[in-house]
Formats: sequence, C-alpha cells, structure tokens
Amino acid sequence: MSTQIPADLKYAKSHEWSRIAGDTATVGITDHAQHELTDVVFVELPALGRQVKAGEACAVVESVKTASDIYAPLSGEVIELNKAVADNPSLVNTEPYVGGWFFKLKLAAPAEAGQLLSVDQYRQQIGG
Amino acid sequence: MAKQIVEMLVETATLELPDVKTIHLKWPEGYEADFKTGQFITLYWPHKQKYKRAYSLSSCALDRGFFDVTVKRDGKMGTSIVDWCEAGDKLFVIPPVGKFLPAFEPPGKHLICIAGGSGVTPFRGFVREATRRNLDTRITVLYTVRSTKDIIFNDEFRQLEKENPRFKFEVTCTRLAPEDPWTGRRGRITADWVKTFIGDAANTVFYACGTNELVAATEHLVLEELKLAKEQMRTEKWG
Repeated sequence: MSTQIPADLKYAKSHEWSRIAGDTATVGITDHAQHELTDVVFVELPALGRQVKAGEACAVVESVKTASDIYAPLSGEVIELNKAVADNPSLVNTEPYVGGWFFKLKLAAPAEAGQLLSVDQYRQQIGG
Repeated sequence: MAKQIVEMLVETATLELPDVKTIHLKWPEGYEADFKTGQFITLYWPHKQKYKRAYSLSSCALDRGFFDVTVKRDGKMGTSIVDWCEAGDKLFVIPPVGKFLPAFEPPGKHLICIAGGSGVTPFRGFVREATRRNLDTRITVLYTVRSTKDIIFNDEFRQLEKENPRFKFEVTCTRLAPEDPWTGRRGRITADWVKTFIGDAANTVFYACGTNELVAATEHLVLEELKLAKEQMRTEKWG
C-alpha cells in the first residue's frame, strides 16, 4: 500500500505535517505515522492558548498498540483545536490530512518552516 | 466461528515492577478459547467501550481457564491498569488473534527472540510452552533494558533456564551506573552480539518485539546483513 505524502505540506522528522497559510499552520500526523500506529483510539490535544516551541511535546495520540507524544513542528500559540478528532480519533486513520488534523498554530517564527522537511526529504526518511 | 467478546474477571493483579503489572483474566464459565501462544487480546473497560488497547498474551496456549497480559504504565489504559486495576475488576476481552507465533513446527528450530522493555512479554509464553511440552526447539531471548530494575519476569526466566537446557535468557543493560555490580552485558543490542548466538542460520527464526527502532534494526540485521529470507523474521511492534 503506498503512503500518501501531499506536496503542499511541510514535514517534521517526528512525522507531523504542517499546512502553512500566512502566519498560521495546521498540524496533524502523516499517513505513514497513522499506519505505523494502527487504529487510533484516543487523542489528547493541547490547551487552547498554549505557547509551544518547535520540538516540544504538546499532544498525545494512542492507538490500540501504543501511546505516542505529538511534537509541535513550529513555535507559536495554539489558536484552534479539532474537537472532531478528539471525539472521533479514527479520523486520524481515515483522513490524516483532512478531518484528522490536531490543532492550528499562530506562528511565532514563520522562518522556522525552512527547517522542516520537503515531500522528497520526508519520503526519503520513511524509505518510501 | 466468530470471535466472541466476553467480560472477564480480573482474578489477580500482580505488580511485576513499579510500572508493570500482570493481570490474570479468568474465563467465564463455559468459555473455551481456540488460540495460539504469541497472540494478543484487546481490552476495554465496561465504562469506556470506545477506548481499546491490544496486549500480547504473556501466558501460553497450554494455560487454560485464563489469559495473562503484562502491561506497562503507558497511555490511558496502561496507566489505569497499573495504577488502579485490582482483583474483582471486570474488563471486556476481544479474543486472541495475531501471527506472532513460535515456530515449533517443524521441530529442531532455533528461535532468537529480541525484546526491548515490555516487548519481552510474549516470549514468556513461547518459553513456557516449549518447556512444558519438552520440545527440542532452542529459544534464546536477547533482552535489552535500561537497568537491572527493569527486567520483567527475571525470576521466571531464570527458573525456566534451569528447567529447559535449550533455553537461554540473555540481558543487556543500557543505562547502568559504572559502579553498578551487574556483571552481565552492557550496551544496546548490536548485530555483532546477536551473531554470536547464531549457529545454523538457515534453521533460525528471528523474532523482534519492542519499539519501532528495535524492530527495524532487527529486520535490517536479518534481511540485509545476514541475507536471510523474510520468512525467517517475525515482528511485533510494541507487543
């Protein structure tokens, strides 16, 4: 089964994706990550208004097999949460890049996006 | 026959380590399970039916009347079990499934089982069954832990070593203080260390149970370095 890696996103080595629009980034986990986790049964989101730094653990995702921290790919303030994914964690499996997003950040340092991986770099990392 | 979800009583709950607990789930009267050593069950609490977690059986298929799972304090389920679960509690159990099965047939195989942390739990079932059936299968468990305080089932594995001359339990500690009196191996599991246990590679089946990194490293060793067939490698990520 081939892994989806949309071209319009940036990727963290820890398997989060960021969809950047102006000074806002929507964050979720990749198709590869959800596939490795298997069936997601629980998502814990950060508090609204929390200031996070790039690389900081700020959410938790649990599958039937394991629990994993989710790291902020970029620094900023958490300005919106996806309540739908907290209510229905399986969205992470079925729509990792659409309905399965986790939170939105107002970016504190948009230039940090240059540190994230491109599609090709991420594909290389996961051996795709 | 469809797998039947059943509510089971926690008959005993035993703290193996400060953050690891074994729960002994008693089968209800009349219940019979057709399952194999190495499979996993899926658990959920009666009051949280949407939230399910899967755990490898730490008991074996010869153990009848109960399932044992050994749970690390990790995530909501692991935390609730280790911190709160006690005898008398009830959990729903989705019966065993899975393909992480010991290669007891044909006879005479050598199973090299590589485990990290709580990944050792299914191998207790492997060794229990091989020992009780007096199989000629050789089993070597190579187990990586941070310190000697993190070894799960140490006493039982040492006892099984005495009972079964074809079983070896080898531990390596990754984060011991230099002054610690441990005389065993230190450091991570390396390809060179694993190779010292391989006799007849063609007759060896490798198992890896633990983190994605441990499983990937074992796959690399078996498939890339040793150039063995995929059929000689079986994995369970965070079993």
